[in-house]
Amino acid sequence: MLRHFLLSRLLRMLVVFFIIVLLNFLLPRAMPGDPASILANEYNLPVETVRILRSMWKLDRPLHEQFVAYIESLFTGQWGYSYKYFPRAVYELVMERLPWTLLLQGTTSLTVSTVGMLLGVLAGWRRGTRADVSITVSAILVYAVPYYWLALMLQYAFGYVLRIFPVAHAVTPGAVHASFLEYAADVLWHLALPVLAVTLTAYASYTLMTRNSMVDVLEEDFIFVARAKGLPERIVMKHAVRNALLPPLTMLAIRLGHIVGGAVITETVFSYPGVGYLIYESIIYKDYPVLNAAFFMLAITVIAANFAADLLYAAVDPRIRYVRRG
Amino acid sequence: MRSTRLQALRGKLREFWTVYKRDRAALAGLAIFLVILMVAIFADFIAPYNPYERVGRPYERPSWKHLLGTNDIGQDIFSEVIYGTRASLLIGFLAAITGTAIGTVVGLVSGYYGSKLDELLMRAVDMWLSIPTLLFAIFLVAVIIRAGGIPMFYSVILAIALTSWPPVARLVRSATLSIKERPYIESAVALGASSTRIMFRHILPNVAPIVLVEVVVRTAIAMLTESSLSFLGLGDPTVKSWGTVLHFAMIKNALILGLWWWFLPPGLMIAVTVMSVMMVGRGLEIYFNPRLRRY
Repeated sequence: MLRHFLLSRLLRMLVVFFIIVLLNFLLPRAMPGDPASILANEYNLPVETVRILRSMWKLDRPLHEQFVAYIESLFTGQWGYSYKYFPRAVYELVMERLPWTLLLQGTTSLTVSTVGMLLGVLAGWRRGTRADVSITVSAILVYAVPYYWLALMLQYAFGYVLRIFPVAHAVTPGAVHASFLEYAADVLWHLALPVLAVTLTAYASYTLMTRNSMVDVLEEDFIFVARAKGLPERIVMKHAVRNALLPPLTMLAIRLGHIVGGAVITETVFSYPGVGYLIYESIIYKDYPVLNAAFFMLAITVIAANFAADLLYAAVDPRIRYVRRG
Repeated sequence: MRSTRLQALRGKLREFWTVYKRDRAALAGLAIFLVILMVAIFADFIAPYNPYERVGRPYERPSWKHLLGTNDIGQDIFSEVIYGTRASLLIGFLAAITGTAIGTVVGLVSGYYGSKLDELLMRAVDMWLSIPTLLFAIFLVAVIIRAGGIPMFYSVILAIALTSWPPVARLVRSATLSIKERPYIESAVALGASSTRIMFRHILPNVAPIVLVEVVVRTAIAMLTESSLSFLGLGDPTVKSWGTVLHFAMIKNALILGLWWWFLPPGLMIAVTVMSVMMVGRGLEIYFNPRLRRY
């Protein structure tokens, strides 16, 4: 049964992957303005140069030829050259930015889920008390605050007024670090505000979900039995938490799939040199090859994360049985 | 006949109000929302200036003449925020209505017909949901503008609507699945009612509460999405929504210059509005789903 489940999921993954590759190819090309004319406007290029650029980038070819070239390039790692940072290869650009995104998103995923689940467990365990109400209400309040605006407020308070944390970049520009430790400290120092901003706005959904799941679990028979057996509350709580954390953990797995795409606003507001900021720039500059690469990676991470979420659920929730449907 | 129906409606409303007003948060949300709605409707009378006109020197500090100062080209920021209410609410609401309508139809069709079609539509929903919303909206705006030649304003609305239908489709589908098993649907089929008639005439009224709650919740979410798009400079630059005001505050260095009266109020307005709309949504949900009333 499990094997059948995995196979069908794999097949579905492949189908989704193909559709995303197709969309990935079509969407940027449906965007207004072609890159040659954009570059021409930007740099006042002569007509002849524009024509050469068009043919070099195959923009003058029919769509299906562009598609074949696209598929070929995907599998040979030839992701082309950036339109904006022209002589540079897309692959190189993306790989240079990726570690920063992984660092930022990895850290925030950890802080967001930890804070969110802890508060959710607390609120659910003490449902109806003042602690529950204040946690739930503040989570709803936070949910309504636009993320980028909170980021601006933090930048203003900690960056411009108090001058404790830097408001942009991942390391101090132009700084020479004496040792790795000093470098790491600089990186962490720059990480502070983005992580704080994301954590403050994103923990709420984990809290609300964990709380509701906790409340549901606490009403189940096995909790009643555990209490009737006279188990200490600490143990009862452990039983409840283990079951209540399933939905938020799945949400976390899915969130990991948004690592590439979810970073656009954070990285843009903080001028953080990750893939998200690269995506923002490439949308503004109609940098098709970079966009394509970014979305290709987005597709891979999203699909992999969803698959991981399925596996995770299969591993931790014994109630799920994989039966053939229909 | 008519008067009894009217009486029934009045009774229903009274019952609704009795339940709704018990929840203090929902009541507060409704009050705040009504004030904001008034501001949006009567923006012309409340705003002291036309927000699209230069009415002062650039970068003026708050004064009695300009309550929140002026922006980089001398437009009155207070008036911008007042008019922003109208734009933000309108875009949010229209996007929510459109998105919920799409989701409702997909959900009804998927749940009612079932089998292969259902499978296909639900896979589409899964896929749709796995793409980060904002990124998707950014793309859709660009694609719609290129494809349709519709004005930017409506492109933004349509793009947000297209990102927001899948959760609605899921909810409506699962409700449809249980409703279609009820005996009266069987009678309707036996009497020869068409599928369309059954879906829209017999099932839709029963999922209406879900749809109503969704419109409200989606409005809040759509307002947030719109504000993010506009903040990134990817919305309609000619319409002054709160996101647009924040966009210009950011690129014109309001933060570095410490002009809090420029970047603080629009964000607060978004937060308060979104919150009030969500609380109204919660109040409605509590009314329609008595299981939530327990405490």
